[in-house]
Amino acid sequence: MSELAEAFCRFVVHQSGARRAKVIEFEKLSGGAIQDNFGLSLDIEGGGYSGLQKFVVRQDAPSGVAESLSRPEEFRVLGAAFKAGVTVPEPLWLCEDPDVSGQLFYVMTRADGSASPRKLVKSDLTSEQRRTIVRQLGAELANLHTVRPPVRSLGFLTLPDQGDAALSRVAIYRRHLREIAEPHPVLEWALNWLEDNTPEPGPTVLCHCDFRTGNYMMAGENLTAILDWEFAAWSDPAEDLGWFCSRSWRFGANEREAGGVGEKQDFLDGYREAGGTEIDPAAVSYWEVMALVRWAMIALQQARRHISGEQRSLELALTGRMVAQMECDLLAQIQELEDGQ
Amino acid sequence: MINNPDIHDLLTEARQVLMNLLTPELTGARKYEALMIANAMGMAIRELGQSEQTKVEEADRAASAFLEARSEPIHNVECEASLAEAIRERRLDGGDKALREVLRTLTEARLGINSPGYLKR
Repeated sequence: MSELAEAFCRFVVHQSGARRAKVIEFEKLSGGAIQDNFGLSLDIEGGGYSGLQKFVVRQDAPSGVAESLSRPEEFRVLGAAFKAGVTVPEPLWLCEDPDVSGQLFYVMTRADGSASPRKLVKSDLTSEQRRTIVRQLGAELANLHTVRPPVRSLGFLTLPDQGDAALSRVAIYRRHLREIAEPHPVLEWALNWLEDNTPEPGPTVLCHCDFRTGNYMMAGENLTAILDWEFAAWSDPAEDLGWFCSRSWRFGANEREAGGVGEKQDFLDGYREAGGTEIDPAAVSYWEVMALVRWAMIALQQARRHISGEQRSLELALTGRMVAQMECDLLAQIQELEDGQ
Repeated sequence: MINNPDIHDLLTEARQVLMNLLTPELTGARKYEALMIANAMGMAIRELGQSEQTKVEEADRAASAFLEARSEPIHNVECEASLAEAIRERRLDGGDKALREVLRTLTEARLGINSPGYLKR
């Protein structure tokens, strides 16, 4: 660990134009099955970052999932989000030389607070505080969705086929399911439903694609950073809104549809009032169904990493056993949507 | 061969020791790992148990009967692959109530093993 800390420290010294720096604290941060995150505190002399500085270093883990971006790609996405005024850690330096630490990595500023979903969902917030938080989260997405193709630095992101993100997703998930070669009749059934019920496509925008409770940091009731950009893609704005409201990401507070934190209407109002595209709530519900299918696909892929021996892990193995939960939710949610029509 | 106590009994006892004696002594990442182990052991215990096995067999029989009633071929003993294929190839009507009931029964049988608490929400 200390060798790694020294390697990161030397990199920061070089990049920031400092004379020297000393490692004050270095720790592996929790979370991130796909990346390793390290907290790095340095006492820096000289250059543009002189003084005590706290950074996060985000580095590739030994293996990822099919959809995830590389660290250099993620660094560029984070840069585009930062430029658009989204509350994110400032991306500082990218290292594309694997000899420095053994993996590619980048360095960003460290935000205060906690990303713990259970802490937030169970916290004793007033209705007004909840409203403020989910409205701000909606506004953050509205800012992000101002980023639209073409963007030179984001040339690696593919566009949805024929501008229809929903049908593109269905095609991708059908392919994933074929590749997994394990029968999942409920997922096949849900994919048919998604194919038959696509809403009018929205504009193509930069989507976070994992915007949910647990992937943003809060200090008290203040949002300090939106994290984990490895799934970002050009997509339909309703995908981010639906993912946030999906049943999978309410952490037991099912009645609070907006991430287990607040009301869905407040979240959508915050989005619209901050300049977000007008979105039909039915499209958000559709993308909530898509979110359940997608999470099931990710869980199946994670289980594959364990089963194949690529990365033996109890956590990955247990994630595979969660797929039945998504399937149960799919059966219930599609029925509810049909009953409501 | 008689080999008592049986594996279900052994696992049940081991999980109780883990949950009642060891886990309360742990904190942070170690506690999380212990809870994951307990979770995995719980699944194994239920999967070995008679009542959950019966539900799985009943769900498989219901799926087989449904496919036979729709004149769908069944390729092997576990009929989920045949059901998945018939749905994927659109030979079955997604709105068919009987199909949805079969899907629900299969899902609930699996949840009964993996996370029975999820059914009670």
